[in-house]
Amino acid sequence: MGGGFALRDLFRLRAPLPRTVSALIALAASALVLAVWEGVARLGLTNPVFFPAPSAVISAMMRMFADQHLAWNAWVSILRVWSAFLLAAVMAIPIGMMMSAYRAIGAALEPIVDFIRYLPVPALVPLSIIWFGVGEETKIFLLWLGTFFQLVLLVSDDMRRVPQEYIEIAYTVGAKPGQVLKDVAFRAMLPGLVDNLRITLGWCWTYLIIAEIVAADSGLGFVIWAARRYMKTPEVMAGVFLIGIIGLLTDQLLRAAHRRAFRYL
Amino acid sequence: MTAHLTFTNVTKRFGKVEVVATPFNLQIARNEFVVFLGPSGCGKTTLMRMIGGLDTPSTEDIRLDGAPVGGPDWRRGMVFQSYSSFPWLTVAENVAFGMRYRTDLSEEEKLGRRDHYLDLVGLYEFSDTYPNRVSGGMRQRIAIARTLAAGSDVLLMDEPFGALDAQRREQLQGELRRIQRRDAKTVVFVTHDVEEAAFLADRVIVFSKRPARIMAEIDVRARLGEDRTLEMRDGADFFALRNEMLRLVRASAGEEP
Ligand SMILES: Nc1ncnc2c1ncn2[C@@H]1O[C@H](COP(=O)(O)OP(=O)(O)OP(=O)(O)O)[C@@H](O)[C@H]1O
Ligand SMILES: [Mg+2]
Repeated sequence: MGGGFALRDLFRLRAPLPRTVSALIALAASALVLAVWEGVARLGLTNPVFFPAPSAVISAMMRMFADQHLAWNAWVSILRVWSAFLLAAVMAIPIGMMMSAYRAIGAALEPIVDFIRYLPVPALVPLSIIWFGVGEETKIFLLWLGTFFQLVLLVSDDMRRVPQEYIEIAYTVGAKPGQVLKDVAFRAMLPGLVDNLRITLGWCWTYLIIAEIVAADSGLGFVIWAARRYMKTPEVMAGVFLIGIIGLLTDQLLRAAHRRAFRYL
Repeated sequence: MTAHLTFTNVTKRFGKVEVVATPFNLQIARNEFVVFLGPSGCGKTTLMRMIGGLDTPSTEDIRLDGAPVGGPDWRRGMVFQSYSSFPWLTVAENVAFGMRYRTDLSEEEKLGRRDHYLDLVGLYEFSDTYPNRVSGGMRQRIAIARTLAAGSDVLLMDEPFGALDAQRREQLQGELRRIQRRDAKTVVFVTHDVEEAAFLADRVIVFSKRPARIMAEIDVRARLGEDRTLEMRDGADFFALRNEMLRLVRASAGEEP
């Protein structure tokens, strides 16, 4: 990069943006939103019980870290999300690949998967509690339910998009079907797969909060729901904020890993 | 001459579309270099894919050494018309992929062959580059090197030199002809370039519009001999042959099937 970045490049369609400029714009935009919010709250335009200023939310968060085990609750939630997510991924990747590799498997599974995929997870909470009680199993099950069936179809689509010619090249140099799947199809679909996993991980948090609100005595969903009972709006918002921060950090880390692993793109 | 590849009463249809005219018969000898010439869409790629085992004929069969060709394997190497390579492998790794599933070669032999063919197509210095960072012509050379490195007895090449500049094209034409003679390969080669056909072929087959029917066969070996040199290209014999083929190609494109 010749350092030749001009202001008008910002408004050119798909013009490349230097990493530092992009980071600055991101920070400035977030700061602007927070500043407006803070200003509106300070001027007394909103009722602090309903809509506290960000400074109040942050000091509530500090308090909760200090004496309400916020970090531990966050950790519990993260563990739940990741164990359910990994379980869903480990099952969805081979099944999804098989669904598009072998038409018969696809034909058999697609209607079932599509049916379950459209069931709203909250509607299955009562059933899940009847089956698994209110322990960890229920939470993992609900999260798994919300992600596995979506992921299976995404994986099968990723696999379908692998160019036929890649498969044919592998065959003409003597690969067996298993080798074609592992060395070529899986490798070709990997960047798309990692993107889909990243997006699915975000959904996990939605289902987690639902599960923790209904049946939990720990985790961020529980913290938020408990604070609501006493109308402690800053604490409710602090819990929500923390989820956002965890999501942002995870996403950025996964994006960086993606860039590093798939440098050839 | 023993027949290496035989098409016996082959038909091929995609749905209702007849791709090769029935009955289609063709014999290709061992160690023969055959060039297919014909109008776009006439069925050359389809014929090649059937030899490679990627498409199956609708009826009757194609035999290699007397046995039905069956599915694809490394003994029938293919350079695809769209010259794909794997974006996640470097140029060198892509070339080595041609030998990945061969168990009869040692690792050292594979490395040696890889470097030899990288060098042959002039890509040695780009060994560690990814295909997305090289030009279209260079990508085409990756595919050629991969297929040559694979070491198959039958080479199926679908317009393999299409994206190359004139100089590189002449160099690789010379190399290909030399390799084919030295390693006794049977080559089926598709091109739209009559000079390329005249320079490379033992025999040129001119096809009609779809459904493909053999319009003419030219025994180039009888006209130009076995050895091909750069100087020959300026000779009167070569020029006459080229013009003759050009007329046949024009006729085949104009004729209604
Ligand atoms: N998978 C397919 N399904 C249906 N029709 C096909 C399929 N593949 C090829 N065809 C048809 O078969 C005919 C022959 O195609 P083919 O690719 O063999 O032509 P070609 O001689 O290689 O042409 P070109 O010189 O342009 O590469 C075309 O009319 C094409 O539309
Ligand atoms: Mg073609």
